[in-house]
Amino acid sequence: MRLLPFRALQRSVQVLAVLLLVHTAYAQSDTAIKKAPPLISGTITNQNGEPLTQVTVSVKGTQSKALSDDKGAFQIAAGSNATLEFTHIGYAALDTSVTGTAMSIVMRQSQGELTEVVVTALGIRRSQPSLTYATQQISGDQLTNVKTDNMMNALNGKVAGLTVSPSASGVGGSAKVTLRGNRSANGNNQPLYVIDGIPISNANNANGQPGGTYGGTPDGGDGISNLNPDDIASISVLEGASAAALYGSQAQNGVILITTKKGRPGVTQINVSSSIFADQIAYKPKFQNSFGETTPTSVDSWGAAISGGHDNVNEFFRTGMNFTNSISLSGGSEKAQTYFSYANTDATGVQPTNKLFRNNLNLHETARMLKDKLTVDGNVSYITQKINNSPALGIYENPLTGLYLFPRGRDILPYKRHYLNADSTGFARQNWPINDGNLYQQNPWWILNEEPSVATRNRVLFNASLRYEIAPWLNIQARGNIDYINDNYEQDLHSGTLPIYNNNGNGNMTIKQQTTEQKYGDVIANFNIPIKNDDFKVSGLVGTSILDTKVTGNYITGDLSTPDFFTEGNIIASLAGLTSITTSPANQDVPPGGAATPFPVHNQIQSVFGELDLKYKEWLYLNGTGRNDWSSNLSFTPNESFFYPSAGLSVVLSELLKLPQAIDFAKVRGSFAQVGNTVPAYLTNIQNTQNAAGQLVFNTADAFRTLKPEKTNSWEIGTEWRFLNNRLDFTATLYKSNTRNQYFPIAPVTASLFSTGYVNAGNIQNKGIEVVVSYDVIRDRHFTWNTSLNGALNRNKIIDVDSKDSINTFVLTANGNNAYESHITKGGQYGDIYGYTLVRNASGQIVFNGDGSTANPYKPQQSSTYNLLGNPNPLYQLGWRNDFSIYKFAVSFLIDGKFGGKVLSLTQGIMDQYGVSQATGDARLKGGVAVNGVDATGKSVTVVTPQAWYEAIGGRNGISGEYMYSATVVRLREASIAYSLPIPPGFFKQIKLSLVGRNLAYFSKKAPFDPELTMSTGNGLSGVDVFNEPATRNFGFSLNASF
Amino acid sequence: MKLNQYTVLGLLLAFGVSSCTKNFESYNTNSSSLSNAQTIAILPTAFGPLEQAIYADYQTAQNLNADGFAGFFMSPTPFKAAYDLNYFLIDGWDRNGFVDQYNQVMAPVSKIAATGVRTSEPAVWAVALILQVEAMDRVTDRFGPIPYSKAGTSVTAIAYDSQQQVYNEFFAQLDTAVANLSAYVSAHPGDTTQLGVNDLVYQGRYDKWWKYANSLRLRLAMRIVKADAATAQAQATKALSDPGGVLTTPADDAKFAQSAGRNNDIWLVASDYGDCRMNAALTSYMIGFKDPRLPVYASPATDPVAAAAATGGYEGIRIGINIASKDDYEGYSSPNTTTTFPRTAPQYLMSSAEVWFLKAEAALRGWSADNVQTDYETGINTSFQQWGVASGSYISDGSSTQTNYTDPKNAANNGPALSTITIKWDPAATQEAQLERIITQKWIAIYPDGQEAWADYRRTGYPRLFPVVNNNSGGTISTTTQIRRLDYPQSEYTTNAAAVNSAVSTLLGGPDAGGTRLWWDVAGKGNF
Repeated sequence: MRLLPFRALQRSVQVLAVLLLVHTAYAQSDTAIKKAPPLISGTITNQNGEPLTQVTVSVKGTQSKALSDDKGAFQIAAGSNATLEFTHIGYAALDTSVTGTAMSIVMRQSQGELTEVVVTALGIRRSQPSLTYATQQISGDQLTNVKTDNMMNALNGKVAGLTVSPSASGVGGSAKVTLRGNRSANGNNQPLYVIDGIPISNANNANGQPGGTYGGTPDGGDGISNLNPDDIASISVLEGASAAALYGSQAQNGVILITTKKGRPGVTQINVSSSIFADQIAYKPKFQNSFGETTPTSVDSWGAAISGGHDNVNEFFRTGMNFTNSISLSGGSEKAQTYFSYANTDATGVQPTNKLFRNNLNLHETARMLKDKLTVDGNVSYITQKINNSPALGIYENPLTGLYLFPRGRDILPYKRHYLNADSTGFARQNWPINDGNLYQQNPWWILNEEPSVATRNRVLFNASLRYEIAPWLNIQARGNIDYINDNYEQDLHSGTLPIYNNNGNGNMTIKQQTTEQKYGDVIANFNIPIKNDDFKVSGLVGTSILDTKVTGNYITGDLSTPDFFTEGNIIASLAGLTSITTSPANQDVPPGGAATPFPVHNQIQSVFGELDLKYKEWLYLNGTGRNDWSSNLSFTPNESFFYPSAGLSVVLSELLKLPQAIDFAKVRGSFAQVGNTVPAYLTNIQNTQNAAGQLVFNTADAFRTLKPEKTNSWEIGTEWRFLNNRLDFTATLYKSNTRNQYFPIAPVTASLFSTGYVNAGNIQNKGIEVVVSYDVIRDRHFTWNTSLNGALNRNKIIDVDSKDSINTFVLTANGNNAYESHITKGGQYGDIYGYTLVRNASGQIVFNGDGSTANPYKPQQSSTYNLLGNPNPLYQLGWRNDFSIYKFAVSFLIDGKFGGKVLSLTQGIMDQYGVSQATGDARLKGGVAVNGVDATGKSVTVVTPQAWYEAIGGRNGISGEYMYSATVVRLREASIAYSLPIPPGFFKQIKLSLVGRNLAYFSKKAPFDPELTMSTGNGLSGVDVFNEPATRNFGFSLNASF
Repeated sequence: MKLNQYTVLGLLLAFGVSSCTKNFESYNTNSSSLSNAQTIAILPTAFGPLEQAIYADYQTAQNLNADGFAGFFMSPTPFKAAYDLNYFLIDGWDRNGFVDQYNQVMAPVSKIAATGVRTSEPAVWAVALILQVEAMDRVTDRFGPIPYSKAGTSVTAIAYDSQQQVYNEFFAQLDTAVANLSAYVSAHPGDTTQLGVNDLVYQGRYDKWWKYANSLRLRLAMRIVKADAATAQAQATKALSDPGGVLTTPADDAKFAQSAGRNNDIWLVASDYGDCRMNAALTSYMIGFKDPRLPVYASPATDPVAAAAATGGYEGIRIGINIASKDDYEGYSSPNTTTTFPRTAPQYLMSSAEVWFLKAEAALRGWSADNVQTDYETGINTSFQQWGVASGSYISDGSSTQTNYTDPKNAANNGPALSTITIKWDPAATQEAQLERIITQKWIAIYPDGQEAWADYRRTGYPRLFPVVNNNSGGTISTTTQIRRLDYPQSEYTTNAAAVNSAVSTLLGGPDAGGTRLWWDVAGKGNF
């Protein structure tokens, strides 16, 4: 019983009592009072046409009330000019005047009220008043209304404190999700994903994420993108460690709790949904069309004037299409319910040859046995996914370098039509006039067609739970899951690919195979101790769990013996990847920029945990949890076992105090939590390896056997208010978290003869505010309008890196001779961007080399060291959502903005260096670049030649400080218009047509790319664009039918 | 029911508390890594990588600095407006010449020591020590004082040794190596089984390692002649009188073979990257001398302008010039990556030709009874032999000298010949002229080892090299006396700050800048 929201229950009981009385009264009055008002009847459905049971119908200004039955039908006596009020948990209250005697009422789910019952850690349902921490709920509709190929992208702008950065890697790409900022230098910063209470794996495909600005292997999607959003009933976002404490180690970055759909007793329903989306690039780089190539063999465009250029970019990108079809069947009896679904997604990216094909099959069974004391629940999902040619990011093997830098004035079309010299052999097979030893450009269509990659994934996810009610106050449940993911990746570089990618000219092949097997099991006893005094309630749980993760696989890459014969046996052994065979670039334990953890990886965490909840009357809730973990990754140290607690308090002011009528609900809450996190595998047990040639390779890392678990301490306080008959909803949370004892791979003193050492150090702080306001502006029968605003502000500060070892900087992304680094530096913020800046004198003037002559033009100088250029994280984010329903139409739009932060475009810098950008053309037309500088003799310099200027500041390793842009971006994130067909009751319950769009317009965007896109969903490479695929604009059409 | 409650809770707690963590250590032991016993069993296989690590990050550690400063190579690539080759020292490049040798040579050698091999297999340990001396000599000759004797004693702070201490340590380590090798060779003559084919330099032949150790001692001894003449002479005499002998014919040369996927570094930077071309200094001497080795060392220019202007088709690039675009100079003469430095060509640590020139210098200094001329001419002939070229009348050419350098693309880069030295031995010449002749021919012979050539240039002032056209050092490096060292890596200032600051103030004898001379590079002191 304790799992039901008490107030709702209480209200229902009261209503039931009243109803009985009313019924009795009518029964008597039929004969007794002739002047009784007429009986109004009708049916109540939700937006999807599903009947709503247990809706309270009341006549305003009277005591008269009724409840709808299980077909949604109601009857109530009311005068013809009376106003009826309809209320139901999770739905916006509706006032409407009586029209006729057979009314059909449609109630809409409400944002604010959906939160009455909240799914919390371990899948426990709790009433909103009892929560001592912030959570936010997202209904399944909000995920599926405007579909995306990674459903996490659909959360963008909808949840305060949640930041989603989609990877710029085409269809099926990963998304980087962070809650309340980044906190771990080396560990994962993404939340834990949990389905129906049980953690799942969010493993990347076998390729992992790009490690540097060179790019290389493309992203192939993460774990969460595999799921079918149509199977999801709702999502709870547990932002803080307090909310997540019961999940332990993995949950220090918050939890995304997914509740899947189940069959419902007595209702058999079939849903079919079908959608078509078109994707187009949302912007293009800006080119100059006034000057041609420097010389006929040159790679640059610093040549003579030309008249007009070709739009080569138009020859490349296409309109991508996304077709998603899904069907679900649900139904069942009181004893057993079934939900079955199948979905398929067939999508093409804006880069030709980029394709995604995915099948999702899901079966969910729930049954009750042994006099309803035993509940058995099982869910099995099977997913197959295939992604062809994920766009490359970065400099290498990226078609966009050749496309964007192609000399202006030349037409790329002949090279599109004829990328292959079929009658040639070896390197001459590629038809491309550009020989660029700097960026190793290739023919873009060669890369698309002759360097194909395919990433496939097969995944089986099996969840099961048993729950037995031993006594009314005690139940015990056992649950488990197996998440088995098999990934394969292959890239075939055909003969003709540049020598840097295949030395011998016969082609090169890469094969990666990876199997991730994650198993989880828990046993939990839930109790609700009976106490004589009704004012007190004591409940809680004790439990134990085990989580076991294994990753195995192999990775082979090498040049071929017989040209273009792509099979493992044809890889020349002596030219096969050496160090890579025993290492995994993809494993999630790989520290960014650090050494890869070798296959296989095996982690196990065992835990015991408990929770105690005290409730006094209806206004005071006290909650405490404790958890102890044993981590195999900390074996060989004395710190294998670690404990961490949490505590929280919630006071419902509206129950404690007599508040003004306008206030329906008021609560204040506060909580503290500590969460520990383990270290990656094998760090405490340094072993030697051998390379592919069989040679011993000493592991010169320091075998630290004093490593401790990472600890995050977090505080939050918050308040929740509802006003004006629950029309206005307000929630605010203030939080602060400090993550200490982080494990850092540090470079010890070189002469220590350790190449790497691991220390526990660091203190990364995140402080912030989250506010959510929701208001039902209009609640009319035919017209409703809900507007909601969510805002979040996060301030990240690196309080300490490792001052005890005099280390104040940790490099997240090293430069690799491209002028971008990402740092964690004491006093700075997570992910600060470092690069070169202009050398200036004391009065801020640029100091030039050269004498201004043609032979020795003025050239700006690059700083000798990397300097701080900015931080890519937004200062604050706002999302403003509006939902209207007008008769059968539903209209909604979402505008969101990320404000503040700075990002770097190396793409722009490189385009400037090569003289293809509009900036370089404009400067040449103007006759020079206006500057405020001096030369070595102190003479003032006001104009410099564009070529000297842009070749010095531009380029991959130029003065990147000149290519920083504001990251502020405000966009129309989503808009949709839906129309429910007026159909007579019968075979179809509902048919809904929607016109939807995503990322439709930028109201403000200052950078030459979309700053939200990320090159990597790992910890590094944020806020930099290196020939990333542009963001896309999507619009489409969807059809939903239920019958 | 009460009983039931406690039973359940008790069971749960029992299950949790007794959680079975006894397998954790095996879970946390990587089954794809080696056990201790396996490590010891395959220890010899670590030697190939150790030998090859001496050229780790060759492009940034040596090619873009020392090889250019030595007049061997110049890059056609304008990586940046200012970089080492025009005297703006790039930390990100130069640090590799420091860090790699600690991480990839000294650290594995310390791990080799930890296996107990010092006592169990002293000859194996001798080879490790020789490689460490070879590697760390390159580091101290780039930077000056380095942490050496105390390396590995701390993870947070390690004091520097003066360069004199470092050299003394080298000599002591070579003593150990020679003692261990001589003992093994006399006990097991001809046995190569300990290292065998895992040794990519000598295939386990300890007699050759012994010669190499003596030759290395001779090289180090000659280096310090200006700073500590007594030790120099004593060590040189020791090297030359040791019964193990020194490298005498190309069959003795210390060079490692490429294995598996490793590429010859000259091939990599010149052919694959296109970042390395011939330096005008070397081409001007070799063209002037009509040196038959030139087609072996270099390929003709492919750039039409350069090829048309070049003598015999060879056109180098002068150090430190302005390069607007890589296209401008990429077609100048490249190192010969077709026949001399293909992808699989071995790389030299030390050649017998070098040893003959060292012997010539030792004789010139009166440290041995050798005939200077014989050693000098044997040095030249051994070099020709090494490269498979007939020397013809080369050694009897008494008139050819360095030519002027003209850059057909930019006259600002032209350089008139600096040297009038000829090839033919002249017993009547001054001692100084004889030294110039020896070092000039030694320089040509030890190509492409710019590291050693730059050290000779700093020590003796020979051969006479064109100064940089542009000097971006901001006055810290003199264009005329040229660069004397590299800056300490920034990482030393961040991780070992107290030690490096103390080394700069008390041991280096000048600011941490490229113009500061090393201990053995004594300012104002003549060669004799």
